[in-house]
Order: sequence, then structure tokens, then C-alpha cells
Amino acid sequence: MEDLLKPDYGVLVLTICNFLLLVYLLKKFAWNRIIGGLEQREQQIADDKKQAQQARAQAEEIKQELDAKLAQISEEASKKIQQAVSMGETQKNQLLEEAKAQAENLIAQAKVQIQAEKDKALADVKNQIVSTAMLAAAQVVQQQINQDSAQKVVEKVLADVQGK
Amino acid sequence: MDVAEIISHHILDHDWGVTLAGFRLPITTHTVTLFAVSVVLFLGLYWISLRRQSRRGRLLTTLMEEYVVFIRDGLVLPNMGQEGKRFLPYFCTLFLFVLFCALAGLVPNMKTATSNISVTAALALCSGGLILYCGLKFHGFVGFLKGFIPSGTPGWLVPLIFPLEVVSLIIKVCVLAIRLFANMLSGHMVLICLLLIVFVVGQMHIAAGAGALLPAMGLELFMTCLEILVAFLQAYVFTLLTTIFAGSVIHTH
Repeated sequence: MEDLLKPDYGVLVLTICNFLLLVYLLKKFAWNRIIGGLEQREQQIADDKKQAQQARAQAEEIKQELDAKLAQISEEASKKIQQAVSMGETQKNQLLEEAKAQAENLIAQAKVQIQAEKDKALADVKNQIVSTAMLAAAQVVQQQINQDSAQKVVEKVLADVQGK
Repeated sequence: MDVAEIISHHILDHDWGVTLAGFRLPITTHTVTLFAVSVVLFLGLYWISLRRQSRRGRLLTTLMEEYVVFIRDGLVLPNMGQEGKRFLPYFCTLFLFVLFCALAGLVPNMKTATSNISVTAALALCSGGLILYCGLKFHGFVGFLKGFIPSGTPGWLVPLIFPLEVVSLIIKVCVLAIRLFANMLSGHMVLICLLLIVFVVGQMHIAAGAGALLPAMGLELFMTCLEILVAFLQAYVFTLLTTIFAGSVIHTH
């Protein structure tokens, strides 16, 4: 059992040679390829990630721009609607005033026309009354009748006028 | 053959006695195992690296890439920094070599090469060489020697601290060898002792030996599982400690 701790220098040297040769061969024929492939894949992933981050940043920027534009458009639309409403209100008031003025004008014209018609009718009535009176007077004078018959004639004339 | 002889036979290296022109060639069971492990590792990894395009190859390559990431991000970079990346192939090989040497001992008719002090000493010397190389490469000869003196040490303490630090580094390398050797040896001693329970008890009475068979087999199975765990653990510890020691030389006080 004491041989357990007794070093065998031949084994030691052979092991060192064996191990270092294995390290060299594996590095040359296996690890370089595997590590190279791994680093290539990691680089690709890093590039993809970077591109994705850039694309995301660009998308964020575009979104912000669009949001700003949308806000601006919304504000402009709101202003325009407000302007249109106030313009409509002004036009409505204007139209109402014009209509009112026109109506008043028409009413005034109608009144004037009615007054004229009324005056004309009154004048006609007056003229007829005068002409009837003149006619009655002429008949009275022509017939030289008494008071009763004159009264009858006048009443008849008046009845005729009312009948007309 | 007594118990001690059986245990010795199971654990000790056996020289095949090959000589060439009067010079003894160290062809032993352990060196043959080392060679077999090296061949398997080389052919296996070479095959995997070549079969990157095929579907099965991609799977194995991905597995190996994950292994490299584990060594790189788990051991090398945290302990050695970016400077350690150039030594990544060394550490990747070291971990697999120690692991496969330990696992080989669980295969029938093969030996655990790392239960030989010469083999673990050789691996520790390689790690020691790497540590020296790192110190000289990154700090130069004078800088490397200065690294042994912690900053802020009073001048009169330097003659005392310097040899202590040098001895400390040598001890660290020796500890690497002894830890791996002791762990692997003890595991195998336990395994053979458990097996011997059956024969020892059987010598007292054949029925007792038969009765001890099942418990001994159960314990043997448990210890074998533990040995697999220990194989991974020791490979990890050996690689981890090497990266820590090399890192402490690269990034001095």
C-alpha cells in the first residue's frame, strides 16, 4: 500500500505529454471550430438583438411623431369645428336678423298697402255716398214730392246702397 | 490473498514491463486508460466538430457549445476575466479529461487513472505551468515576482512574506494534485471494501455471506452513483481552482 504515494516519474512525464498533446490536438481540430461557431452564433444573436433594438427605437420614434401629428391634426380639427360652429352661429344670427328685417319690412309694406286700400275704399264709399246723395237729391228735386215721399226716396236710396 | 492485497491489486497501477532498448516505457494500466480516454475524447470531439451541418451533429454541437459556455461564463471569465478567454480550450479539455478519467474507473476492466498520484501530479504541474505562464505573460518576470508581495506590505516584512507567498503558490498546486488523488482513491477503496464485505462475511459462514450480498450490492450501487457525482464534482473543482489560481496571478493584489 505504500506504493500508493510513490510517484512514477515515467507515468508523470507520459501523462503530461499525453495531456498537452490532447490539448493541442483538440484545440486545433475541435475546440477552435466549436468555439468559433459559438462566437459566430453569439455575434449573430448580438447583431440581431442590436438590429431589433434599433428597429424598436425607430418604431418608437415614428410612433411619437405620429402621435404628435395626430394630436396636431386633432387640435386643428377641433379649431376648425369651433370656427365652423361660430361661423354658423354668426350666419344664423345674420340670417335671422335679415329675415326679421325683411318680415318687418313686408309687414310695414302690407300695412301701408292695407292703409292705402282702406283709404281708397273709404274714398270710394265717400264718392258713392256723395254720388248717391247727389242722385237722391236730384230725384228729390225732380219729383218735388212731399216730405214723406222724400223720406221714402231717401230710405229707398239708402236701401239700394246697402243692397249694393 | 488477503484483503489488503486485494485492495492493493484493485487500486494500484500495474506496470506491463515494456522496455525498449533497455529503457523502461511507462506502459501501465493507468497510462493505457489515459491514452484510451484521450483517443475517445479526441475522436468524439473531432467528429462532433465535423458534423455541425447535419441534424444530429447540430444537436451534439449545441450540447458542446453549451458546455463551452458553462466553462467560459461559469469558470473562466468570472475568475480570470477577458484575459482567460485565450485559455478556454485548455480548460475545456481539462474538465473533460479529469471527468472521463474518473468515469473510466466505473467501466469494467478499466482503471481510474486519477487515483494515481503521478497522474494527478502531472495534471497539477500542467496547471502550475499555466499559472506561471499567465504570471510571466501578463506581468513580466519582475512584475510576476512583485505580485507575490501584497500592496501596502511594510518593507521589513517583504523577506518574510515573499517566501511565504511563493510556498503558498506551490502548495496550491500540490493541493490540486492531492485533492483529486485522495477523492478518487477513497471512492474506489470504498467500492472495493463494500464488495469485500460479501467475501469476508462469507468466509465466516456461507449463509451469512449470501445474506450480506443484497445489502452490499445496494451499498455498491449507491456508492457507484456517488462516484459519478464525485467525478463531475472533482472535474469541476479541479478546473475551478486552476482558473482561480491563474486569475489570482493575472489580477494581482
